[in-house]
Amino acid sequence: MKKALLVIMIIALAVSAFAMGAKEATGTAPAGAAPIKIGATWPLADITGKQGSMAAQQAVDEINAAGGVLGRKLELIVVDDELKADKGAAAIEKLVTVDNVDLLIGGMASGVALGQIPVMKKYAKVVISTGAASYKVEEGLGAEADWYFHLHPWDYNQGQSYADGWEAIQKKFGNVKIQKIFLAYEEGAFGKASFDASKTLFGGRYTFDGAPFKSAAFGGGDYASVLEAAKKYGPDLFLWAGYDADALPMLEQAKAMKFNPGIYLGAPPGWPADFGKSPLAENVMLYGMWAPSINGVSPASKKFYDGFMAKYNTEPATYFAPLSYSAVYIAADAIKRAGSTDTAALIKALAATNYASPLGQTITFTPSNIIKHQGVKNQKILQWQKGRQEVIWPFESATAAPVYPFPAWK
Amino acid sequence: MKLKSSYIVVAVLSVIAIAFPAFLGAYPLNVARSIMTYMALAISWDMLLRSGQISFGIAGLFGLGSYASALAVLRGGMDPMLSIVFAAAFAGVMAYALGFAILRLRSMYFSITTLALMEIFRIVMHNLHDFSGGPEGVVLPSVIFKGASPALYWLCLAGLFLTIGVSWFFEKSKMHLALTAIRNDETSARSSGVNIFNYLLIAFVITSVLQGMMGAIQVQSYGFTTPDTAFDANFTLLPLAMALLGGIHSTIGPMAGAVLLGVASEWLKLKIPYGHLVVYGIIIILVILFMPQGLFGLARKARRERSKAGASHE
Amino acid sequence: MANKRNAAIFAALIVAAVAGILVWRPTVIIYGLQAAGLYASIAIPMGLILGIVHIVNLAHGEFMMVAAYLTYMVCTALGIDPFVAMIPVALVTALVGFIVYKLTIRQALKAPELNQLILTFGLAISLTQLANLLFTSQTRKMSFGYVSASLSIGELSFGVYNFVFVAIAVLMVIGLRLFLTRTTAGKAALAVGQNPKGAAIVGIDVDKTYGLVFALATGMVGMMGAIFITRSSIFPAVGSPFTMKSFCLIAMAGIGNIPGILGASVLLGISENFLKAFRETRGWADIVFFVLIITVILGRSIKGKKA
Repeated sequence: MKKALLVIMIIALAVSAFAMGAKEATGTAPAGAAPIKIGATWPLADITGKQGSMAAQQAVDEINAAGGVLGRKLELIVVDDELKADKGAAAIEKLVTVDNVDLLIGGMASGVALGQIPVMKKYAKVVISTGAASYKVEEGLGAEADWYFHLHPWDYNQGQSYADGWEAIQKKFGNVKIQKIFLAYEEGAFGKASFDASKTLFGGRYTFDGAPFKSAAFGGGDYASVLEAAKKYGPDLFLWAGYDADALPMLEQAKAMKFNPGIYLGAPPGWPADFGKSPLAENVMLYGMWAPSINGVSPASKKFYDGFMAKYNTEPATYFAPLSYSAVYIAADAIKRAGSTDTAALIKALAATNYASPLGQTITFTPSNIIKHQGVKNQKILQWQKGRQEVIWPFESATAAPVYPFPAWK
Repeated sequence: MKLKSSYIVVAVLSVIAIAFPAFLGAYPLNVARSIMTYMALAISWDMLLRSGQISFGIAGLFGLGSYASALAVLRGGMDPMLSIVFAAAFAGVMAYALGFAILRLRSMYFSITTLALMEIFRIVMHNLHDFSGGPEGVVLPSVIFKGASPALYWLCLAGLFLTIGVSWFFEKSKMHLALTAIRNDETSARSSGVNIFNYLLIAFVITSVLQGMMGAIQVQSYGFTTPDTAFDANFTLLPLAMALLGGIHSTIGPMAGAVLLGVASEWLKLKIPYGHLVVYGIIIILVILFMPQGLFGLARKARRERSKAGASHE
Repeated sequence: MANKRNAAIFAALIVAAVAGILVWRPTVIIYGLQAAGLYASIAIPMGLILGIVHIVNLAHGEFMMVAAYLTYMVCTALGIDPFVAMIPVALVTALVGFIVYKLTIRQALKAPELNQLILTFGLAISLTQLANLLFTSQTRKMSFGYVSASLSIGELSFGVYNFVFVAIAVLMVIGLRLFLTRTTAGKAALAVGQNPKGAAIVGIDVDKTYGLVFALATGMVGMMGAIFITRSSIFPAVGSPFTMKSFCLIAMAGIGNIPGILGASVLLGISENFLKAFRETRGWADIVFFVLIITVILGRSIKGKKA
């Protein structure tokens, strides 16, 4: 009897503490001057989500300092998705039902987005997604999800843009010749999706092969066998799709094995701190969406970069920072044009977005394979030159010409 | 008398639990689902632990159930509700087959083997691209009950009730004596006529059925799974931690532990966006250090001391 | 007795396999041994703790991670090489290990063994997340030219630096053997590992021995952390996968059998790289690890029953 009573007490205490916590977080504001609430989920323990949330807050502060939107202030409410589908789904439930946010932004991992989609569908609030590249997410959304505005390119968009990019580069720079492509991909969902997308897109035009490896991010980090396979294949373009933890060790291993492709290119979501300082980094190419060098060609990028440095005193390390910053500006701009936060009006206004983003390109929403509102469709091809990431392609935001071929190991 | 009053408490508690959707919003219900899932896993793990066998394979059976259910719906066109039953049965059959080999192992070797089996399941799902979707996993056409919060909550609650029921049956029946006898002294249990292997096999199969069932409920509630989601090591480690923090060898202990850690994790996250997991880890350390018998063990001890004190006063 | 026979069968199998593969695919042996060296040198300190203190230290990889960050800070601040920094870092991690032992693990020794497991699980979470707060999840890596040291034999060019880990693993085994059989403290540790109650009766300070062994093992893993950063990027979660791998290797070797860890690592390293060498089996390289563990454990249990 007492046993049971004790348990009841524990549960009751816990539940009430929890309920109080949830309420407290909501806060109360007078109805008239109520801020426009933007709910966001990111993995806050990861550098992508951490800096994404920081950049979004920066945008909110900038907009509020300039008078807010429709005479109201913006308020950003961020909940950690902990890189877990169930936590991410619960976060959306909280933002929508407890905090009563007007719209949602954020997101990074596809695995979390898949768990969030059923909840998002239930409420059909406007979502401006900064992550989730997997085509599975698009399948999960379906064609009906007109409230879903996907900023980040899908995996097949990225593949297509690389195919376009290499075509353009070879046309413009006659010395660049690509016939054989080899992709070393991390064995998880990210790498496998890259491989599938590349195989279809590169398959006809080039000879293409690939092999998986276990990323150092998950306890792997042994690249000997995959590099062995690549070396045997003898590619003009060697490409690896993994994580920042793989960047330098793989280069070191390639050097040790005297593997010397014409182009050595990496496509991780972010790069290690101070990668540019390593002597091996010179002339490594990369796929990405943003680099500090874009400040030179895009005023929006410079404004973002300077603001971020001034506010946080650290350099944005991944493109999730400018992407999340863009999400807030796109939302604010659409609310202004819609004249309200009503979902139907907001969807209409968002669909007409034309935003000169810090990514060095103008963002509009056009249909992709399934959904109606896809934002950025291309990635950029960049190259490490003298410790900096310089944009090679697209040429309109290029900051340098390519150095080709990748220099022989000394 | 004592028995009756505890029945009343259980009934009241169950009614409250069933009625939660009437006065709680979608968010608490979602959190509750996650806590209940871990709770059921913690209880089922504890059920096998009562025989002294420490399984590190919870995530393996959970993931197996997830995939069995998802693939039954996707590839076999099975009804989602039926697929949960199928997944539970599938986990049970697998456990039965594997149990013949691995239940002969003891202590750490049993634990390691269950852990290795979990990894093998994960890698198989990872590599069977065409059948299981490979590393990108599978997406179901829709979530069960169209994602209605109360319905999903009740489904999960049903799974939890079943687990609690079986666990209580274990506690009250001959199973209890047999498992405890095995744990305390295997040799004497054998000599006193307990068929050790049969009891272990029954316990292993039943707990696996429950874990597979929870996995199936999870996958139907979220509408997708990937090898990394289904076989997440947290589905092994957190239930273990919950059971220990609450107090092992009981049904109520793991329940209390699940509520403690589940609520703490969600609450801390809202209070400390950056770095809440540091505090979470410290909570685990402190509870283990200062309540080595778990919350429930501490309560038991306090009650014993109080009744002792009361007796001496008289 | 059964252990020795096992070891002999192992050895014979390995020699036969190595000879065969060396002719057919030399890189399998080269990279297999390099991988084995890394596995073993991380697993051996954990095996020491498990064999003597009888604790499954789930924070094992995290101690290595802490040491790796410590080395990174020392090396970037002072501009020294990790091979120089490893000695002070090992001493500091040993001290940290000792303090952690005194403050937490010692308090839980009397509790059931599962408590110690979950205690170290809590430690692992706290350490990882603390590192995440301090350094973020962005990875760091220092560049050293010698890591790319290369050897060419005919057509074949391969990295030789990773053989360093083979040397470390062998040195660890020899060093531990000398320590456990030649020194008073080591003999006491061995006695405590075999029978703590008996050791206490003959006057050995069990608590002190546990503390010493724990500090020694964390010191060793600290040294590994220092050298680890030459080869690998570091980030808060870098250590945790190695905890499970180490645990599996120890179970495969049999608890308390430290030289056996070396054998188990070689077997796994070579088998993994064998599968990785072929297109069809590449994706399945991970599975061999777990299949071998189960086979060895089950095989030993059946044999034990017969004997």
